[in-house]
Amino acid sequence: MIENAFDISKELLHIEVEDSKINGYRFVTATCVDLGDGTLDVIYHFDKDLELKNLRVNIKKEDELPSISNIYFSAILVENEMKELFGLKIKNIAIDYGGHMLLSDEELDSPMAKQQIVIEQRKGDK
Amino acid sequence: MGKSGKQNKSAKTVIPFGPQHPVLPEPLHLKLVMEDEIIVEAIPAIGYVHRGLEKLTEIKEFTQNVFIVERICGICSVMHAQAYCQGIETLMNIQVPDRAKYLRVIWAELHRIHSHLLWLGLLADAFGFESLFMQVWRNREKVMDIMEETAGGRVIISVNTIGGTRRDMSPEALRKVAVIADEIKEDMKELEKVFMADYTVKHRLVGVGVLEPDLAYEFGAVGPMARASGIKQDLRTTGYAAYGELDFEPVVETGCDSYARTMVRLREVYQSVDLIKQAIGKIPDGEINVPVKGMPKGEVISRVEQPRGEVLYYLKANGTKNLERLRIRTPTFANIPTLLKMLPGSELADVPVLILTIDPCISCTER
Repeated sequence: MIENAFDISKELLHIEVEDSKINGYRFVTATCVDLGDGTLDVIYHFDKDLELKNLRVNIKKEDELPSISNIYFSAILVENEMKELFGLKIKNIAIDYGGHMLLSDEELDSPMAKQQIVIEQRKGDK
Repeated sequence: MGKSGKQNKSAKTVIPFGPQHPVLPEPLHLKLVMEDEIIVEAIPAIGYVHRGLEKLTEIKEFTQNVFIVERICGICSVMHAQAYCQGIETLMNIQVPDRAKYLRVIWAELHRIHSHLLWLGLLADAFGFESLFMQVWRNREKVMDIMEETAGGRVIISVNTIGGTRRDMSPEALRKVAVIADEIKEDMKELEKVFMADYTVKHRLVGVGVLEPDLAYEFGAVGPMARASGIKQDLRTTGYAAYGELDFEPVVETGCDSYARTMVRLREVYQSVDLIKQAIGKIPDGEINVPVKGMPKGEVISRVEQPRGEVLYYLKANGTKNLERLRIRTPTFANIPTLLKMLPGSELADVPVLILTIDPCISCTER
């Protein structure tokens, strides 16, 4: 486990992020991790005096997550990135590229999402 | 007043800046909304050269990833490898030999010098001072040469490995590095006068792109961008590698403008020279790496101070040879929002300098 990490629900995300801002934390970035079981971990990293604080939200892939860009504007790029590369549903990003910050129309959907690889069981000759 | 009684207002014009532009070594596009010559809004567009390297690190073995992360960006390649190796070393509880820690500092600071000299040259070129650009880059060649001599490569030098370094430096090589570092310092002392006092240089930089300290912090500025706005933020002070054994203070300016950012990078060249000489004076004898056994497991965050600022590596390993996730937040990714804050209110003619002033690395951003 990473140090100073707190598991929170998506309902508490805005409250916790606002609390971080009030307490003088700098938004560093967010990390999306596809756990491969239909859920995603979204970890928000904050810094104060070179000490990190990490808020982890675990959500189902089909669930929506509120944007934090209305609290920390600097989250716009990473939120668009997570939205495109992982298919994470984030609503109300301050600048929403509509899925075209990194991806073009011809690109595969959500290239960073884990693909289910089905290996055909072949019967050997006897 | 018009017949309708409404006040005439200047029509807004949208001017695309980039992705191909003489001042940009790499593709970045900005949609500039203008009223006359003044910018009222700027919207960035990236993604022209995105390479999906984070995904590639999930496919390659964790030992091979050192070479991948070095190719995120040539100019910061040593620090990328250092951040990655530190993360794996923490996960696997590897104790890096002290000599390797000092070697990492020496090569990292050589990289910082060549990155800052590259930027100072590009800045001079951007405001049309060709001879200054050439003089700065001539000095930069000395760093490139000494890196080639000590590591075999001029840009991507591949010295870091999990458990230490892949190369050592002989006493003669260390002495030569110290001599070259002194030469660079002396050369830059001459050029410093131009950067600090030349009328045309100051005219293009002073008061341009002001980023107040509270806004710099709120918008997540890192590296020289933050330090030029008076924020004393430098990850080297956390003491990773051998920085904890060296005596230094973050270089901070309070001007908050493009001139202050230039001064921070200029002074950091001298600081790097000093750190290199301190490291050479204190480097102990001994091994340069330890063998790596087993596979990494767990989660860790590793951060180091690159020339452009803080880089963050998040690693998640599951006990196999492949990482489950490697996430990299590079400094330019953090500094782009500050650019969006600085541009509104500026004149179109200042855009090239303002973009350069964040020292944009699109290779890092498009990892």
